[in-house]
Amino acid sequence: MRRVLMIAAMVVLLCAAGFAVWRSAAVGTPAAAEVAAGLRCLACEGETVADSASPVAAAMRAVIDDQLAAGRTEEQIRAWFADRYGPDVLADPSGQGVGALLWLLPAAALLTGLVLATRALRRPAAAPPAEPRRRVEPRGRRDLVWYAVALTVVGVVAGVAVAAEQSTPVGTTTPAAASQGDPLTAQLELARQRERQQDYAGAADAYRTAAELRPDPTIRLRQAFALLRSGQPAEAVTVARGVLQDRKDDPDALLILGLALRAENAPEAVPTLRRFLELAPEHPAAAQVRDLLGPP
Amino acid sequence: MSDTRRSRRWPGLVVAAIGVLVLGVVLATGIGHDDADTAGPATQLRDEPAPALTANTLSGEPFDLEELRGHVVVVNVMASWCAPCRTELPILARTAARWSDLGLRVVGLAMRDDEAELRSLLDETGASGLPVIFDRTGAEAVRWGATGVPETYIVDRDGRLRVRALGPITEAWVERHVVPLLES
Repeated sequence: MRRVLMIAAMVVLLCAAGFAVWRSAAVGTPAAAEVAAGLRCLACEGETVADSASPVAAAMRAVIDDQLAAGRTEEQIRAWFADRYGPDVLADPSGQGVGALLWLLPAAALLTGLVLATRALRRPAAAPPAEPRRRVEPRGRRDLVWYAVALTVVGVVAGVAVAAEQSTPVGTTTPAAASQGDPLTAQLELARQRERQQDYAGAADAYRTAAELRPDPTIRLRQAFALLRSGQPAEAVTVARGVLQDRKDDPDALLILGLALRAENAPEAVPTLRRFLELAPEHPAAAQVRDLLGPP
Repeated sequence: MSDTRRSRRWPGLVVAAIGVLVLGVVLATGIGHDDADTAGPATQLRDEPAPALTANTLSGEPFDLEELRGHVVVVNVMASWCAPCRTELPILARTAARWSDLGLRVVGLAMRDDEAELRSLLDETGASGLPVIFDRTGAEAVRWGATGVPETYIVDRDGRLRVRALGPITEAWVERHVVPLLES
């Protein structure tokens, strides 16, 4: 009877959890829900704008609806929020490194709990009823298991807390990180994040904004490279040529220019790439360029 | 018998002690990051073009930040449902009155508020002379980058956003951040 009750309780809890998840996903239109789920609520700890009940999150959802109604794409809206609030506002649930702990530890804890629960449920049936009330295992070992479990639980809590500390942004009581006050760093962060997400067009945009803040040749070359990877070779050529005007014979600029010209099937591609090889034969990309060009 | 019981208890105590210590450290580091600001709000210094702000105030007057070039403008994101906002409203009202001759303008931006509650709050705190923009959806506050209430922004005479404060402002904060911009 107890077992039936326990199973029934678990079923009810799972249904409630499922219902709650379904409800929290029902936010406005599907597109709005998706954008909202991709933004962090900065006034809360670890909640997304879709989940949070705070007025600021509600205001952000209103802004998302307005912008969608005005015809902006999800990507543009995310870029707008990153521009306003810094790249920290973009929720990155995939979490690399430390962030992965936030997924692994709860999953491991759940699994352990399930395993222990099924074992506990199974044990009464296995023990013969006629046995006197004596535990089957020696006492010392039981204690050890108990302490091990207790330590694991504490370790899980500590681990999650540490991981959460390192991957969630600061709330309103602490001043935001330097990147909030330094638009250039924010843009560069945003660009790198987009590159990781393989959104090269977006990354090129962010590099362009960064270059407007500081016309650094390195930034412009990253912009050109992102343009090339996003399938915009003509624009990449323009930017790379601009860098070459300031820095004649810069090997990196020649490399990107050459690759961009090649993507456009322009005849200047080969001489440009050969010039690059002449100037920087030991460049990490030199071997690949040689392969590209074939024998001279 | 008592010996073995004592020796069995020790590992338990040690584990429990370690567990409590770890939990304590984790909690302490978590709590330690919450600076309870008794000395004024957390303040960020910025230097960027201020967002636009064009709307009618509660009293029906048009407000346009662009037209206030040459003035120092304090934009205060607030709401009647925000308890700390109540403490700073009298300070804002006094500041506005004191420095308006030198070109200071103060405007409230009430986000996601109830109009009746808002008017009543302004009356109670002696701030009914302050122009307040009613930001029904909170979208204006979001355009300014607000992450909560109250937040206060200072725009200099060239229309550039120079200071952002998170939390209720104090007289000392006004002296430190508003007055120098008025004197420049």
